[in-house]
Amino acid sequence: MRGVRSNQRVVAGTALGVAAVLASILGVGTARAATAFSIASVVLVACATVLSSSEFRRNHPVAARAAISLLAVDVSIVLTAFFSATVDDNLAIGAAMSIVLLGLSFLTGSSGQISLGNGAFMGVGAFTVAVWANHHPTTPIAVVLILAVVAGALVGLLLGLPATRLRGPYLAGMTLAFSVAFGAVLNLFGTWTGGDSGLQLPTAVNAPAWVLHFFKAGTSSLTTNSVWLVDITIVTAGIALFFMANLFASRTGRAMRLVRDNDVAAELVGISLPRARVIAFIVSASYAALGGGLWTLINNAVTPSTYGFALSVTILSLVVIGGIGTIPGALIGGLIYAFAANVIAWFTAHTGLNPQGNVASQLNGIIFGGLLVLTILFAPTGIAGFVRRRFAAWRAR
Amino acid sequence: MSSFLTSRNVADVLGGITNGVIYSLVALSLVLVWRSTRILNFAQGAMAMIATYIGFAVLAPTTSYWISMAVAILSGLVIGGATERVIVRVLYGKPEINPVVAMVGFLLVLESVAAAIWSTASRGLATPFSMVDWQLNHKPVAMSPFALYEIITAVVVMSVIAGLFQFTKLGLRLRAAALAPEVSRLLGVRVGRMLTLGWMLSSAVGAVTAVLVASNYFTGLTPTAMDGVFAFGFIAAAIGGLDSPVGALLSGIALGVILQFVGDYLNSNAIILVALGMLIVSLMVRPNGVFTRSAQRRV
Repeated sequence: MRGVRSNQRVVAGTALGVAAVLASILGVGTARAATAFSIASVVLVACATVLSSSEFRRNHPVAARAAISLLAVDVSIVLTAFFSATVDDNLAIGAAMSIVLLGLSFLTGSSGQISLGNGAFMGVGAFTVAVWANHHPTTPIAVVLILAVVAGALVGLLLGLPATRLRGPYLAGMTLAFSVAFGAVLNLFGTWTGGDSGLQLPTAVNAPAWVLHFFKAGTSSLTTNSVWLVDITIVTAGIALFFMANLFASRTGRAMRLVRDNDVAAELVGISLPRARVIAFIVSASYAALGGGLWTLINNAVTPSTYGFALSVTILSLVVIGGIGTIPGALIGGLIYAFAANVIAWFTAHTGLNPQGNVASQLNGIIFGGLLVLTILFAPTGIAGFVRRRFAAWRAR
Repeated sequence: MSSFLTSRNVADVLGGITNGVIYSLVALSLVLVWRSTRILNFAQGAMAMIATYIGFAVLAPTTSYWISMAVAILSGLVIGGATERVIVRVLYGKPEINPVVAMVGFLLVLESVAAAIWSTASRGLATPFSMVDWQLNHKPVAMSPFALYEIITAVVVMSVIAGLFQFTKLGLRLRAAALAPEVSRLLGVRVGRMLTLGWMLSSAVGAVTAVLVASNYFTGLTPTAMDGVFAFGFIAAAIGGLDSPVGALLSGIALGVILQFVGDYLNSNAIILVALGMLIVSLMVRPNGVFTRSAQRRV
């Protein structure tokens, strides 16, 4: 819509909104579902209209970031109404994973550090949620998730203290040791964490009554109990995305990118290196814990074996393949994670491999590991960087 | 005297040394590569594991333990050299997280490929030594023929490496290539070949370590057998200083002994936690390691 004056844009947007509402009312059977779809489409059109103005994007960057996040959440939630339950579940797992990836992307993109312990930080959040929910089953899930974030931040602070004086490989090795040690930590507090078998949540997370009352109508309702958790995860991911986008663009984020690119110069202009590094590490740990907490809610249970060293390596591969140090890269990584199992199962079925065989069960590791090595050797900016360069080349023509 | 030898503390020290030499070997293998190429080889354990599989899975059960060991060491040399030529060489001069990521990816590939070919089931190696402790007045001493074999092998490997670096022309070239690549290139040292050789040596040391670890009846050979050992070896190397071979050896043995006491007197789950705590404290107090002369980072 470049070149269109703002009042024309408002007119076009309003017209699109009215059309969307009409389409919802005509296309959907029941009044409540139609209301829901109308709200969703009005939000969609409003966000798109606002974002299409480059002037708005320049003058109100925070509002623009909010609009992008809202748009992404809105589209995802509408889509969940049409997908099957399995796909919804995959989406939720992937959305939670993309929160974790956002955290690691920030750590690397802003301070040039790398962590091999984010799987264990996820475990910190996951077990915080499970332990708390078992002792206080009535606590609202928003509070429980905030507790998970706080727990992640505290453990991140503890491990981040030496990070103030460490550079690349040392920090990676230390976080590797943490992720190997995490299982032993859980066993040490076995009376709380349930040892090897992990914990079940006492009750499944259900949608509040008013939401059910409002939307429980007809066949294609936007929010029922089965997709409630999916929607919560997507909304949380949207909020996390909004905060992260602001953090990347903030004064702190800019200072940290200088730390990454040239830490000596950063120190000379008065940036405190230890402070910048610890903050980056804590942010990444908290985001990982939030993602892990959501996983516990989605699975309604938590097992220690999930949060081993292998998960940390998977997180690293996703963020590198998606595009390390960028927000789109983290989202792409989350999408890859959501559907990787399906793609590999499809691949196995079509190549005639024995699905129970050794090779098929290791395909995941071989593919991710191979892609990780190839990406870092030949395209270190990942998918996001590749697309951005292509796009820039296309614009420049 | 005899009751002293079978006492709890002596048993802990002996058992600790037996574990500690393994950590020392892993640490030594890491230091060899770090000194010359400034890359922390996260795939060290996995490379060694593959070499051991080649030695023992391909040849067994027809051949003897020693031939398999020799094949494992040769495979270690080849794997190390190939890794340096194919993967590592591309990474020189890149940001310092790129090698970390690449080696972690390589680790994942190696472990998955090993599991795909040889399955994840544990495989015992037929050792020529008994793992039953010697008896003294009908009480066990915490030392078995197998443990003694481990310690002696480790000492032999360390002596060979130390002798090679200290007393041969090749060792001098290796050290020169690591410390001052530009100058040694001007003086006619083939620096690229020396770096490859460093990786080959490191990988061969790793292969011996993995054979020892896998020979242990309790662990056996699995694709992930070296993960935990690698973590302890890294902790030893980081505490001792990644630049100091002697520091790596000493801190490996010290770590083994301390952790044996922790496991005996506290709790076996506390072992890795205490090791992590020691790592964190030592990195905060002396980030470059206990045994390295404090050097400012060059800007």
